[in-house]
Order: sequence, then structure tokens, then C-alpha cells
Amino acid sequence: MGRIVLKNIRKAFDAVEVIHGVDLEIKEGELVVFVGPSGCGKSTLLRLIAGLDTPTSGSIEIDGRDVTKAGAADRGLAMVFQSYALYPHMTVRQNLSFGLENQRMPKAEIAARVDEAARMLEIDELLGRRPTQLSGGQRQRVAIGRAIVRNPTAFLLDEPLSNLDAELRGTMRAELSALHARLSTTMIYVTHDQVEAMTLADRIVVLRKGVIEQVDTPLNLYNKPQNLFVAGFIGAPNMNFFKVEVKSGKAELPGGAQIAVVHEGPVTLGLRPQHLRLAQPEERAIAAEVFLIESLGAETVLHANVEGAGQIITVLDGQLDIARGAPIRLAFDDANLHAFDAAGQRIG
Amino acid sequence: MNAVRNFVFARRGRAGKWHWTDIVTWIWLIGGTIIMFGPALWLISSSFKGPAQLAEFPPTLLPYVQEVAKVEGYDAPLPLYQVTQEDGSTRVMAEIRRIGTSAQMVDPANPEERVSVRLTDRQPVREVGLAINNYTDPFLAFDFMRYLGNSVFVTVMATLLTLLTNSMAAFALSKYRFKGRDAVMLLIVATLMVPLSVILVPLYSVVSSVGLLNSLWGVILPTIATPTGVFLLRQYMLTIPDELIEAARMDHASEWQIYWRIILPLAAPALAVLAIFSVVWRWNDFLWPLIVLSRRELYTLQIGLNTYAGELNVQWHYILAMTVVTMIPVVLVFIFLQRFITTGIAGAGIK
Ligand SMILES: Nc1ncnc2c1ncn2[C@@H]1O[C@H](COP(=O)(O)OP(=O)(O)OP(=O)(O)O)[C@@H](O)[C@H]1O
Ligand SMILES: [Mg+2]
Repeated sequence: MGRIVLKNIRKAFDAVEVIHGVDLEIKEGELVVFVGPSGCGKSTLLRLIAGLDTPTSGSIEIDGRDVTKAGAADRGLAMVFQSYALYPHMTVRQNLSFGLENQRMPKAEIAARVDEAARMLEIDELLGRRPTQLSGGQRQRVAIGRAIVRNPTAFLLDEPLSNLDAELRGTMRAELSALHARLSTTMIYVTHDQVEAMTLADRIVVLRKGVIEQVDTPLNLYNKPQNLFVAGFIGAPNMNFFKVEVKSGKAELPGGAQIAVVHEGPVTLGLRPQHLRLAQPEERAIAAEVFLIESLGAETVLHANVEGAGQIITVLDGQLDIARGAPIRLAFDDANLHAFDAAGQRIG
Repeated sequence: MNAVRNFVFARRGRAGKWHWTDIVTWIWLIGGTIIMFGPALWLISSSFKGPAQLAEFPPTLLPYVQEVAKVEGYDAPLPLYQVTQEDGSTRVMAEIRRIGTSAQMVDPANPEERVSVRLTDRQPVREVGLAINNYTDPFLAFDFMRYLGNSVFVTVMATLLTLLTNSMAAFALSKYRFKGRDAVMLLIVATLMVPLSVILVPLYSVVSSVGLLNSLWGVILPTIATPTGVFLLRQYMLTIPDELIEAARMDHASEWQIYWRIILPLAAPALAVLAIFSVVWRWNDFLWPLIVLSRRELYTLQIGLNTYAGELNVQWHYILAMTVVTMIPVVLVFIFLQRFITTGIAGAGIK
């Protein structure tokens, strides 16, 4: 239970189309994360799945049933809103039981389900309080609890952690992950936080301007980005890009390093900051001049200028004794190079 | 206590000097207080004065009652006066009756001897006291309880129906998107500009043709749809986040349940404001009930009071007292409902 299939979904608000034909299949029990820059249509897509909006064209199937025209309540899904959307005039218990009461469930069963969810989320002591008397993290749990008690076929979560501070976000992320492991219910999770996406997801859907750029497991996205956008979007700090000309299978990087590329013409080469290291004296390398050093303790981030090719960012292990303005030489392995053609698609 | 004094007497002028704004502020505030509270206080204090005292000029600030004494040989207690005698001394005497510009009076200690005293030579003996019978008489004589009942019925029913219909309209106009929504809203608000007197005649013929003349429902029904109420509630409901409604929809709530269990409780502050307005409007309504109701037993307080004023001569002491009584419910409603006029709980579940 919980297989969701989107077929050529399009959505327009008035005349403006914001989702341009999305095809996606979400397997049963999978945790799928939608990521993408602000305004790319993540929330819109989620709301279409939830039934809060109807697509302009295309169809949505849940467990083989076409629900495109079905109302939000008839899809058996539960949603956790970014703002939590707890009913402010009801206690936590009433918030949790509201949906069940509307389904005319017997009182005893409602109480049992609410108590179980409350125990699972450790909010049993808060059941008598109102949302205003809760902290952000507690509200978050109540919002998740409201989804859990319904026993939905799938959970839809729209940036559920974005209102929390960094530390709480970390713990809640772990809890959500544990929750998914325990319930093994399908979850669709929207975020623009890469760490959340990478740590939580079974598969990540990268969206840009209403189009799916790539759907894959987190590590595949990181190791084999299908295009320039995904390459630049996944991974922090962002990938370094160099525009080069490939002539008879060879390209020259700034600083004179020669590399082989199976392509002809203009190509963009990408190198993750983590894949660069300080070069040995004789090694093939990119020469640069440091202009900013960020010492984080465990690692050091160097921002450097490469002559004629813009900036390069490197993440090096440990603490380094490098002064601003110092020249450095950065080496890399060919295996870590990503190459993209003029249209931005991956080569090889 | 000191802090309060410091706050109240704080001045903008330095070192004990008065800045001109201090003076303006004091004049403005004191003047405002007098203008706001003066009439109400005058009304309350006058409602406790007897008819003679009301006619006095200059008027007194506090209500007084004339002292009376029981004099042997007279059944009713007689009013007491301070009489100035020819030799300049004064003594307290009781009045038996007035004859022209003089009065027949008697010394309570010596009931046999009657004296004639000129009206100008005497002063009534009075003490601060309340003419309670201003209040009690109408309750007994005048059909006060029935009028009160009618007024309460009209006010309560009209207010409940106003809240119900207006909040439903406001819900639809604030939370649904449909063609012509803004036009409908504009139309409703536009009716604010049509005064009752303009639609009085058509309204009368409508009410008459549906047979609601001389019925309290004829007073209630035409008043329940108020543009002010719809506008007020809609503006408030616009501030209730749509996500709450969407969450409720995901929670299997029907549109009716969303209205009843989410929107209404969250719009409580605006509903309280509208309830206060509606109670005041309906309670004080005069013209429309006067037109619809012509049978005495259906009169509301305001009309009852008016006819009471018309009988024989104007009995101001009763009218003033009854006016005070009619004010009480409105004040109570305000005191009770103003607790709900706290804003911003709707946003509380939303971070
Ligand atoms: N009700 C609406 N009417 C018109 N345009 C809308 C509406 N809702 C969303 N849009 C537009 O659709 C696009 C996608 O919006 P959406 O809210 O899905 O973005 P998002 O990916 O969730 O962004 P964020 O990360 O900021 O939440 C935006 O350009 C937005 O302006
Ligand atoms: Mg969003």
C-alpha cells in the first residue's frame, strides 16, 4: 500500500504554467525527497498529490486507483504542513483526534490511537495543552502525530523542519528517519535542505522550474549528476566548474593540466571541492592564489582565484597553515572529474 | 501608588514647568471625560430624582429626597420644610396643603395649631437619597416585564441569526474562490450606503405581504443581514491561515464542519465585536419596530417607553429611570463579550 504514480502532471495558475509535465513513480514504503530551489514547484507538486489542488492535466494514481478527481480526504494521505497548521483553539488531544472523529471512529479506538501515537512521539504529557503552549519542536511532533493517528497510505511532508533551529533539526531528522523505518509507510518529503535530502531519502527528486531534472538515490546523484544543474545543486560547497574546449579528445585545464575527454567542442568540467588536494611538487595540478581561508577545525575551506578561470573552492582535511595571498597547487584524480556538454548534459 | 501618580502627572515640560502640550493634554482629557461620562452620569443621578427636583433650576448634582414626618391627625406622612419666621428664627414645619402662593403648615410637635406660610419663606428639608419609586412604580404600573421580554427576544434572536448568517456569508466570501466573488462583496458593502429611511416603504410592503406585520419576527428578520457584519467578519477571516482549512480538509472534515469547528471558534473575537454591535443596534432600534408593531403587547422597550412618555404629561422621572434600566443589558453584554475581543489567536497554531 502506498504506491503513487504521477503521469504527465501539468499545473497552471491562471495562465502561468508552473509544473511542466512531471512523470514519477513512487514505490511502496519508499521515502522520496523533493528538492530544488525556492519556487521550483515542490509544494505545488505535493499539494497536487495531496488533493488540495487539481492538476490542469495528467493523472495521479494511488495503489492503482486513479484519484486525479478525488478530494483530499478520499485519498487516504496525511500531510504535515510547513507551518504545522495545528488548530490553535484545540488541545493537542483534540488536534490529534479531530480527523478520526470526522471519520466517525468509535471513541475508545480514537483514544487508543491517540495515546499510542503520543507515546511513540513522546508527547503524552502535552495532550492537555494548546499549540500556543508548545515549543517549536513539540508543535512539530504534534503535527506529525496528527498525521500518524490517521494511519495513512502515505505521508506528505512539506518542509517540516524548516522552522526549527539547527540542532533540533538534526534530532528531528533522525527521529523522522527512525519513524519511517518503523512504520515503513510511503513518505514524500519536501525540503530545500540538501543534508536532509541526502540523509533521509531512499530516492531524491531534483526539481527545477517545474521540471524533474533527475531522480536517483542520494549517492548516485552525488557521484553521477546527470546535468550541470544537479551537479551544481547537490553537494556543499558547490562544485567547481571550468569551461574548456576539447580538441581531438584532449582538454587543457587552467594551469596547463591536460586531460582526456570523449567529446569534441565546448565542454564544462566539474570538480567537487572535496576531491581536490594539495599537489606534490611534480604532480599535474591547477595553480591558484588563496584569497579566503575558512578554518572549521576538522577541515579547512580555501577560496582561491585561478588565473583566467574564475574561482575555485577546496575543502581540505585538518588545519592548514596557509596565508591569504599564498599560491597553491591543487591536484585531482581523473575519476572524480565530471564532464558536461554544451547543452549541460553529462558526458560518459 | 507612587508610580501611578508619577505616570498620571508626568509632564513634558522640564523642572516643574508646564509645556503647552501638557495644558492641551489636560484640557483635552478632562474635557473628553466630561463629554463622554457627563450625560451618562447625569442620566443616572437624575433617574433617582423626584419630579419636583427634576423641574428645579439650577439643577442639583446629586439626587435628594425631601424628609417627611408622621404628624398626629394626618394619615399620610407630611413633607418637612425649614420655615423662616418673622423674627428671623427658623423652625421645621410640615406642610398640610398648598394654597396659591402660601401653604398651610403645622408644627409636628404641636399638631393643633395651623399656620399659613408664604412659599418664599420656606426651604424644603432634604437629604441625599434615592427616589427608588422611579424604578419600582413602572415595574408595577407599566407593562415593563412584557416589553422587556419582547426586547430580549428580538435582541437575542436577531443577534444569533445575524452572527450565523453573516459568518456563513463571510466564510464563503473569504475562503472560497468563485466567479463573481468580489462583485458580490462589493454589492454587499455598497448597501452600507443605503439608509433605512430609503428602503422603509418597500421593506414595509414586503413584510406586510409575507404577513409579518405585528409579529416580532417581522422586526427580527429584515435586520439580520448586515453589510457591516459581513464585512467585519470577512476581513477577520481573511487573517485565518488557509493551511488550517486545508489541514482540516485532509482530516476528513466536511465544509460544514470546517465552518463550525474551525472558522467559527477562530473568528470569536470578530464575532464578539459583531455581537456587541448587534445587541446595541437591536436593543435600541426604534423606527422599524414602531412601524411593524402596532399591538401594545408586542411593543419592545423602546416603543413602550415612547408611548409612556406620550400619556397625559411627560413623566420624566419614570422615563429617566427606565432609560437607565434599558441601558443595563447593553452594558452587561459589552462587559461580558469584551473578554473575547483579544486578537491574534488564529495565527497561534502557525509558526
Ligand atoms: N496559488 C498560486 N497562484 C499562483 N501562483 C502560484 C500559486 N502557488 C504557487 N504559485 C507559483 O508556483 C511556483 C511554485 O511554487 P511552490 O510553492 O510550489 O514553490 P516551492 O518549490 O515550494 O518553493 P519554496 O521552496 O519556496 O517553498 C512559484 O513560482 C509560485 O509563484
Ligand atoms: Mg514550498
